[in-house]
Amino acid sequence: MLQSTCQSDQHQFSRRRWLGTAAAGAAAVALPVFDPAVHAAALQRSAKQVLFIWLDGGISQLESWDPKPNTEFGGPFRAIPTSVPGIHVSELLPQTAQQMQHLAIVRSLCTQDNAHSSGVDRIQRGDPKDRGVVYPYFGSAVTKLLGPNASGLPPYVWIKPLSGGFMHKDAGFLGPQYGSLAFGDGKPPQNLLQHANVSDQSLQERMEIRAFADRQYARGRPAASTEANGFVYSMGLELMQRRQLFDESTFAPADVQRYGTHDLGRHMLLAKRMLEAGVQFVKVNSYGWDTHGDNFNGSWSLVRRFDQPFAALISDLAASGLLDQVLVIAMSEFGRTPRVNGHLGRDHWPEAWSLCMAGAGVRRGIAVGSTSDKGTWVTSQPYDIGHMFHTWFSALGINSRETAWDNQGQPLPIAHEDCHPVTELLS
Amino acid sequence: MWISSTATVTADDLAQRIDAVLQQSFAAAQVAPGPVSSDAEFCRRVTLDLAGRIPTVDELAKFLSDPDPQRRSVLADRLLDSPEHSQRMADLFHVMLMERRGDHPEWTVFLRTSFAQQKPWDQLVREILDPQESPEQIRGAAWFITRRLEKVGQQETDYPGLTRDIGRLFLGCDLQCAQCHDHLTISDYRQIEFQGLYTVYRNTSIRTDVKFPAVAEKPLTRKTDFMSVFDKQPLLVGPRVPFGIEHEIPQFESGQEFAVAPDRAKNFPGVPKFRGLRLIAESLPSAANRRFAENLANRLWFVMFGAGLVNPLDQLHDDNPATHPELLAAVADAVTAAGFRIRPVLRQIVLSQAYQRSSLGAAAGAVPYQYGQEKRLSAEQLLASVLTACGTGGPAATADAPAEAEQKRAEAFVKAFGNIPGEPELEFSPSLKAALFVLNDPLMQEQIQPGGGNLSERLLQNGDDIAVADELYRAVLSRAPAAEEVRFVCEYLGQRREHRQQAIGNLVWGLLASTEFCLNH
Repeated sequence: MLQSTCQSDQHQFSRRRWLGTAAAGAAAVALPVFDPAVHAAALQRSAKQVLFIWLDGGISQLESWDPKPNTEFGGPFRAIPTSVPGIHVSELLPQTAQQMQHLAIVRSLCTQDNAHSSGVDRIQRGDPKDRGVVYPYFGSAVTKLLGPNASGLPPYVWIKPLSGGFMHKDAGFLGPQYGSLAFGDGKPPQNLLQHANVSDQSLQERMEIRAFADRQYARGRPAASTEANGFVYSMGLELMQRRQLFDESTFAPADVQRYGTHDLGRHMLLAKRMLEAGVQFVKVNSYGWDTHGDNFNGSWSLVRRFDQPFAALISDLAASGLLDQVLVIAMSEFGRTPRVNGHLGRDHWPEAWSLCMAGAGVRRGIAVGSTSDKGTWVTSQPYDIGHMFHTWFSALGINSRETAWDNQGQPLPIAHEDCHPVTELLS
Repeated sequence: MWISSTATVTADDLAQRIDAVLQQSFAAAQVAPGPVSSDAEFCRRVTLDLAGRIPTVDELAKFLSDPDPQRRSVLADRLLDSPEHSQRMADLFHVMLMERRGDHPEWTVFLRTSFAQQKPWDQLVREILDPQESPEQIRGAAWFITRRLEKVGQQETDYPGLTRDIGRLFLGCDLQCAQCHDHLTISDYRQIEFQGLYTVYRNTSIRTDVKFPAVAEKPLTRKTDFMSVFDKQPLLVGPRVPFGIEHEIPQFESGQEFAVAPDRAKNFPGVPKFRGLRLIAESLPSAANRRFAENLANRLWFVMFGAGLVNPLDQLHDDNPATHPELLAAVADAVTAAGFRIRPVLRQIVLSQAYQRSSLGAAAGAVPYQYGQEKRLSAEQLLASVLTACGTGGPAATADAPAEAEQKRAEAFVKAFGNIPGEPELEFSPSLKAALFVLNDPLMQEQIQPGGGNLSERLLQNGDDIAVADELYRAVLSRAPAAEEVRFVCEYLGQRREHRQQAIGNLVWGLLASTEFCLNH
């Protein structure tokens, strides 16, 4: 009897309905009328994934992607050649330089905010026009727009030092269910471990009884509540059953050595496992990049600690072919001032800075944009974060010009309407 | 602002008025109202709304067998007079006013004694807006302000946030956008509405000379300068309730500002002669301030119907009319006529046909109030209902260190089912966090473990599977099981004769985790 009560295709259907259209926040994507070709494109799109590496505080572009050696503000580090002839990066990125054939560097970012408190939000929300609504962070936006994939895992996972838990802030007007599940210090959330008194068999039966009760309740009532409730229980069970994913003791020692035993190394390795398991959007945070004092010693250790796992990860994703579907982005809320302050530090500089991306539909082995000799100003066409949002959405197969949020009836652009995708970054 | 209807509504005929207005809207939409709720449906709904938990098996049985045609109003009156009602109101208003910013024992005392005494809302709000040191049971009211004055990390004290919450929670007006300029799309919300209040609250701080929550106020000597970020014209405003009259600031000679002088040695901040907090407390919560009554009306309606007449609850203004303007006027009139006592208004709502309609049969696209609505249960309602369903709410829970264990349990439920701090709890929003709590937390498993005469133990001792199904559904879902549900339970138990204890536990868990249990419907 019970076998017939809980068919997995019903779960799939319910999950799709919930994530796709039945959002409590009433924000849904305007999808075109059903068309087999479009449908196939949508399925392919939902296979796309994102790794978003956030270097909180502001990585210095001069000590990473846009070195200016032997200039007034260039600092002590050299520029080194990369695997792509003609593109040079800072000598603090020796391993990443060898992966340049997979990467795209943008050196012409020019953004609006030089404060951390507002800048982090602004950049990660794509700095939309202020309409009095709180836009979602990129992670919430992507998981909403791509719709659920087949993994059954939480779509938006955030790996970070310190505390974890369920983080709703990122979701903005999409509603709390589009927030992230944060793995504090890489550790999974509370209550993931099955209670000792409950056998696997019992757990299965409990879920089936719960599903039966919900089907009974849903008779003669709108399906939204039971679908939403069923969805979180299926996801909970999925997470419980795949908890070995988060168990660091199962990491191969060779991988741990390649990625590094420090926080960022461990977290990037965990991120790789999550991407392989199918998590749609993984954000990895690294803190402490705000080098107002002693920027050069600081960058020497910070940038190299980033270099090792980043290069390992790009190399692994490229080798497995996963890079074709995973968009990788490494960035901060702004860059750092070319002028060196009295504490041998660099301050906040949103005027001319850089980021690095790779994978999915991003062109490989290029450096886009340029800055003045001293690195002070953008000398090519400046790009705001809105241009990056358009570009990233495009790389994920989402038409950023035609897709709109539906915020309780109010159509809102998913990326700043004054910006556009940067075609030279797209393959 | 809504013009009050010509015939003033008293609290006593509100139920009729509600149904008359809705009848018109059904007629206009050419639909018939849905059927009246069954007795079991009503009993569960009203017990959750008024007593904050589901009914016990005995309470339900007594109600279902009561031949009195007036049994619904009798039940409502019994619930309204119960101590659990005061507790429920204290919990409800705690969540509404503090929005999960934690808890404070003195604040709890303030709310509990206030609702036990049926304190009118205007008086309660006055005590919050101008908190006094004595009597002791009301001094915790200060925590509304002091909690919001606490610094978070490196950030500045959030005076704008406190100002905004006064507007949101007591007037239904979110003046956030009016901090920096007149609201762009809401003509009622001008910058002066925000700045007049802000003048008062930016002058406050947390008293450090006493252990209980208390607010210090500096002498207010001059108006606030402000300018719109758009036209940059310098403006001035003194203390002013939004949409009200500005108060002049009296000038005192230096040293004469205080009614009670400060005492630096004791860190006592003194009491100024001219106090903005008192001005706001005197003029904001009053019958003359229609928005104050409308806000309470809209929030009580939300509590009982799961949606406000005006949505969002803090967007009361002319450009955002109520779904049923006559209803908002009628409830606001009733609130005022009742002298801001909440109980008679809730009673009238419960007696309305609108409240008593069944939620069964509702389809997408139904006309509002044609059917009963689903309402989110708070963490407090869920905990009390789990304990009631499992039969472990009584003496069994009071073993060793009962208060401490109960407190921990309550905190765990809030953590699992509550929203994040500062976010109002409005609609049903199941979360992975809550699901994992129900799946694996020992606090939930304890409830299912047979012992102490709890539900699982009673069911385990009952050899009759049909009777087990009956008691299970009555205890957890407050209704008799349907025929197919009895069949489901019997078949399941029949297949698991050797593992009956686990099977019973699984059944109890399955119903506790169901949507039907997690909602008021």
